[in-house]
Amino acid sequence: MNDMKMNGMETIDPVWAWQPYQPSADQTWDRRSAAHLFRRAGFGTDLARIDESVKRSPADVVGELVAGNQEPSEFRSTAEALAEATLAGGDPAKLSAAWVYRLLYTPNQLLEKTTLLWHGHFSTGAEKVQDARMMWNQNQLLRDHALGDFAAMVHEISQDPAMLIYLDSAINRKAHPNENFARELMELFCLGEGNYSEADVLELARCFTGWEIKNKKFRKNRYQHDSDEKNVLGQTGAFDGEDGVRIVLEQPAAPLFVARKLVRFFVCDEPSPSDAMLQPLADLFRESDLQVAPVVQRILGSNVFFSSMSVAQKIKSPVELVIGMLRSLKATTNAGLVADGLLSIGQGLFYPPNVKGWDGGRAWINSSTLLGRANLMADILDNDSTRFDGKSLSEYLRGQDVETTDQAIEYFEHCLLAVRLSEEAKAQLRETAASHSGDRERRMRSLLHAVTSLPVCQLC
Amino acid sequence: MQISTNQSRRRFLRSSIGGAAAIGVGANLPSCFAQAASGSGGSDERILVVVQMSGGNDGLNTIVPYADDDYRSARPKLAIPSDEVLTFDDDNGFHPSMTGMHELLQDGQFAAVRSVGYEQPNRSHFESMDIWHTCRRKDEPRPDGWLGRFLDQQPVTAGGDVPALHLGREQQPAAVASSSIRVPTVKELSEFQLRGNDKQSLRKLLEKRQPTSTAGDNQLLNFLQSSTTSAIAASQRVTEAAQGYRSEVKYPETDLGNKLRVVAQLIDAGLTTRIYYVQHDGFDTHAQQAQTHSILLRQWSDAVSALVRDLDDHDHEKRVCVMTFSEFGRRVSENASAGTDHGAAGPMFLCGGGVKAGITGKRPNLTDLQEGDLKHEYDFRQVYASVLKDWLGTDPTPILGKQYKSLSLFA
Repeated sequence: MNDMKMNGMETIDPVWAWQPYQPSADQTWDRRSAAHLFRRAGFGTDLARIDESVKRSPADVVGELVAGNQEPSEFRSTAEALAEATLAGGDPAKLSAAWVYRLLYTPNQLLEKTTLLWHGHFSTGAEKVQDARMMWNQNQLLRDHALGDFAAMVHEISQDPAMLIYLDSAINRKAHPNENFARELMELFCLGEGNYSEADVLELARCFTGWEIKNKKFRKNRYQHDSDEKNVLGQTGAFDGEDGVRIVLEQPAAPLFVARKLVRFFVCDEPSPSDAMLQPLADLFRESDLQVAPVVQRILGSNVFFSSMSVAQKIKSPVELVIGMLRSLKATTNAGLVADGLLSIGQGLFYPPNVKGWDGGRAWINSSTLLGRANLMADILDNDSTRFDGKSLSEYLRGQDVETTDQAIEYFEHCLLAVRLSEEAKAQLRETAASHSGDRERRMRSLLHAVTSLPVCQLC
Repeated sequence: MQISTNQSRRRFLRSSIGGAAAIGVGANLPSCFAQAASGSGGSDERILVVVQMSGGNDGLNTIVPYADDDYRSARPKLAIPSDEVLTFDDDNGFHPSMTGMHELLQDGQFAAVRSVGYEQPNRSHFESMDIWHTCRRKDEPRPDGWLGRFLDQQPVTAGGDVPALHLGREQQPAAVASSSIRVPTVKELSEFQLRGNDKQSLRKLLEKRQPTSTAGDNQLLNFLQSSTTSAIAASQRVTEAAQGYRSEVKYPETDLGNKLRVVAQLIDAGLTTRIYYVQHDGFDTHAQQAQTHSILLRQWSDAVSALVRDLDDHDHEKRVCVMTFSEFGRRVSENASAGTDHGAAGPMFLCGGGVKAGITGKRPNLTDLQEGDLKHEYDFRQVYASVLKDWLGTDPTPILGKQYKSLSLFA
């Protein structure tokens, strides 16, 4: 929103932007760029994996990340078994912790990150749906298609009980078409405001008449379907809901709208790229029959992704901050603590703020969430269940040959920060560390708390 | 949009009741705060409290044209029975939930403007809310909000109190976005301070700007740094300001009631903050509207009237005005789910000892509609212009982008 300075996104050549990144003297493939890739394509990884990736080509590493587009069945069954226990209780609030488990342990970070993207995109809140299993089923739907077929995802979400309940569209009668789902399908899911008229909303709503949720299941009530002719986005026919979704997805605005979302999610918060900049991605998305993976692969392997227009040009979401710290240090902790903490700082899983999902970027940040971020880190680092590769933090760091305060500052910088610390900033951290009493473990945890609370650590 | 009924939010409400009292007193009072805390009264400048009804409030069931037959025929299920309406003249009255507002009107502390909206109404929640917040349409640049632009014009008091405060767990409204000032969002006073073993040293670390090699050209980092230093400063002041507040008025134990009680505490503590902003969510009543809307209006009416009473008791009634708005009204005809869909014009409300009590605007014409919605009689910027000029004492034109004819809303 604020004093937005051009960072070049408007002026760069769209062709160059999306061409494959070739490491060069200006843009080296090193720890920093590899860590950037892992932070954006997931939540972050430990230094050993970063160093191992630097020895391979960036395209190779990106290819491997994108190829992990389905969960290994073993991991899925463990995650499911854990979720079943919470589903039995029926409390959707507990589901957040089940998702945190996935975020902490998944071998497919890009798949999980993209699932989180779609959760915000097809925003649905458990607060209103009040049914844990419906929310969980929707989450699986999003995961199944996260790096797959966007059209299939939209078709399924249009019949998803949680979504339709969330949008007050569980009943949709011929005499009174419900506009809500039709409007959000165009405004928020596929086209964006301005790419349809109010008349299109009314006509599209007629296509969905008779679609309802009965006994927690989707069904088509043919007695309530308006089978007359409709005029939707310039097409005329006796359309039903599937036709309606198809027509919306056929609009030229659709691939551009989704490309914009993907670029904002993976590349930078601001400024918003021009249509011309996005067009190559939109074209690729259309040519790939709206498959998500090719576009994501193109983005993550591109010149612009590894340029200064992207590195450190996003503000970490709460999930990126917390899960990022944990995964970068091979840490595990109490999933419930993380889930509740994420809600308190603005990103409750299964609890997006409204139908638009999370705005992200600067909207993550205000005095309250900044204090909350620091406090959540304090809670996690004070918690006995927080272990680093099964060890205490000081033992873990010792295993990485990190003994002194200076070495720890440098280690955390490599793992957690998108921007190098200046000498003065390091001196301030040293001073802060020196003021801490307590044993080595206590001091290392305090230092980690300080680093994660710095403004610079909120950058991704 | 969701209705606020989840358990964690309810828990939050309950816990925040004791929250303010539970805050420990810092040993040292920052010097910038000493004046206010010593009871010298701080500022006597006027204050605006904004209450945002999110989701689109059904204006026709708020100020009810109960004698209008067209109202009854458009609302077979949802029309408020005539004998339940809290009448204020022969044709119009309040929703039965609004006893608090009804009493305020009788006491000369309530004003409403009917049929407020704008040309070519947008029926998207977000777009319409953005229009209300920024006073600009989508095709214009919107880097700031109308209150943010007001704040930009105010003299800067270095190290002073925050010029505006957003209370709540929602995202910060664009209305308070400013190019020069970061408005803090406070969810709950007890959460608005650092905790943990190392909080002292961490506060010292974060209250200074950290130099980095690249901060100069990374706008996001600049933003994060100034947000962090202002968060630490605001945390100190706000926490200390809320100490020792006593009130005879019983606020409703709701999210809004708690937030407005905190507003009263901060005002009475002498903070020089001039704008408080709170949101009251859940008005997107597409289905089964009657009960939800009744609860929401009661929560609003009870909480705002409690605030006004409390300010009366503490002799602040002449300097505080509470303004309520929503991003749009709702469709005149109810839908098949006993709800109403997104509409256009709706009423705005002003409460407090400084308002010229009464109702401005004609009874809405339910037969002359645009796409099933009420046409507006007043542009919302006319109300803003009145508030800016006659209440906050500033020239509205540069803030609103052009001249709007103000209304006579203040005594």
